Amino acid sequence: MPVVEAAALTQRFGTAVALDSLDVAVPGGVTGLVGANGAGKTTFLYAVLGLRRPTSGSVRVLGLDPVADGSKLRSMVGFAPERNVLPDEMRAIDFVRHLAEVRGLPRKEARTRASDALWLVGLGEERLRALGTMSTGQRQRVKLAQAIASDPRLVLLDEPTDGLDPVQRNEMLALIRQVSTEFGADVIVSSHVLDEVEQVCDHVVAIDAGRLVASGALSDLVGDRSGLALELVERADAPGAAAAVEAALAASGLRVRRDGLKLVVEGADHGELCDRVRDAVSEASAGLRRLGTRRHNLEDLFEDRAAEEMRA
Amino acid sequence: MSEASSAPEAPSVPEVPTAEGDAQIFGRGYRPYEGDRAGVGGAVWSTARHSFRAALGLGRPARHKILPVVAAVLSFLPAVALAGISALLGSSFDAAEDFLPAYHEYYGFIGVSLVLYCGLVVPDILVADRRNGLFGLYMSTPLQRWSYLAAKAQAVMMTLAIVTVGPVLVLLLAYTLYGAGPEGLGGWTLALGRILGAGLAYAALYAAVSLAVASLTDRRAIASVGVIGLIIGTSIVAPILVEGAEMSAQFNLLNLLVMPYNMVEVIFGAPVTTEGLTAFEVVRVCAGWTVAGCAAIWWRYRRLEAS
Repeated sequence: MPVVEAAALTQRFGTAVALDSLDVAVPGGVTGLVGANGAGKTTFLYAVLGLRRPTSGSVRVLGLDPVADGSKLRSMVGFAPERNVLPDEMRAIDFVRHLAEVRGLPRKEARTRASDALWLVGLGEERLRALGTMSTGQRQRVKLAQAIASDPRLVLLDEPTDGLDPVQRNEMLALIRQVSTEFGADVIVSSHVLDEVEQVCDHVVAIDAGRLVASGALSDLVGDRSGLALELVERADAPGAAAAVEAALAASGLRVRRDGLKLVVEGADHGELCDRVRDAVSEASAGLRRLGTRRHNLEDLFEDRAAEEMRA
Repeated sequence: MSEASSAPEAPSVPEVPTAEGDAQIFGRGYRPYEGDRAGVGGAVWSTARHSFRAALGLGRPARHKILPVVAAVLSFLPAVALAGISALLGSSFDAAEDFLPAYHEYYGFIGVSLVLYCGLVVPDILVADRRNGLFGLYMSTPLQRWSYLAAKAQAVMMTLAIVTVGPVLVLLLAYTLYGAGPEGLGGWTLALGRILGAGLAYAALYAAVSLAVASLTDRRAIASVGVIGLIIGTSIVAPILVEGAEMSAQFNLLNLLVMPYNMVEVIFGAPVTTEGLTAFEVVRVCAGWTVAGCAAIWWRYRRLEAS
């Protein structure tokens, strides 16, 4: 059974459409909810939590209706919002313990698990510190700790790496992976940084302007497709060589994206791609500065979508 | 998850510390929670207790404790002094009955403390959650708007009851201890019931009014000024209308400082001291203020985005 199942889910705010007939099934494991800022990621998470009644369509989470069974569902869900919600003067341990209690744990159990959750996110020594004295990275970890302390079945993390430096970001991603593998909780993590999602997620739901761009296993969406990336040098005696290479490759049925002198070519196996690129570059009398394999990534999903819309 | 509890998955902690005492925790393991969850009732009680502690500055830096302590001292001080006086008077207490206040008269001493609590302590119970976004996080738990507000109202009631019930209970105990308490178990129980009823009704009215004002702004200072301004303002305007402009005595019903005191008089069976008002009018207007306050809070929170 999918963890989250949305059917024609639509959410409007006045004339603005935040979610537009979204049909998606989120399986277990770690799922990345990707999209640009304003794509509708947070709105989708709020619909999952039952905090907003959908304008139309439906969503079921862990087999429950988030609006009708909201309280029951939310006792099984941990949520870490994007914005800073930590009261400055509270100690980390008190904050995490309180949220665990509110999510239904007995007081003694909440105290123990709050302490353990803070140790697990690497804040064991800092658990008695006031939240207002913590760095951005530590505060993000506290938000994660409060989301997992109550032993939820589903953890929703809204932009959990926001404001983190690269080292902190990698540590946070490792923690998110650990929540799924060690704790057995399903995780939906929203992010606009595609690299992060590729690094940590099993599945991806990509949305743009409230519409579904792609949904499926990460390996299906990006893993099997690869191409070549090349950078050309135009010689003085052969101006417009890059455009000629692009045209020749496209004419042979390959998918080509060009940005100035840089091209990405896909659509055939590696050997054949190399042969065709060699021939096209040679015929256009262009110089070749760089040539290498390029793995298809999530960014391509959005670029493909944009290209489709342009054609339409 | 915890090294202190029975874990189905053995944590990778060294079983026997070395003689040198250099044992280290290498991993804390993970223990799923399989017990019952408290549900909405537990969430309400936890939030109420947490908010109550925050209002009193418990578990927070010392500066947060100053105001609640000052207000509590102001409200208890007369009760302690009166307890001392009644102890000194001892058997001659009967002769001093005219001098010592009755239970309902004590509420005249706590007006300042109550206004301090309502203006400076209560608003933060609601405002802080909206200001720092914690309200949205609460809404991601089993709490819903109505249960969240119930928890907050409970916290405010508990906070105000320290002032509206606590000192009068001290008085009851002191009078009882020195032989001047209510007669018989029935009389004592009636007095206790009246003290609890009056204290809670007083607290409910002020809780509703101050939370209603606090629900309208995200700035604590504005909420504080609003609450104090409303209570003190009505106590200035009402006499001006009735005595200065010689308008109907019914305008005294607007007086938020005096009406709760009149309600306490009604609960204790004493005559209403504000001229021109009946007990029924006083009870009705106090209930009206309480209901109106609750309605304003609900109106505001129904429209509040959980983000």
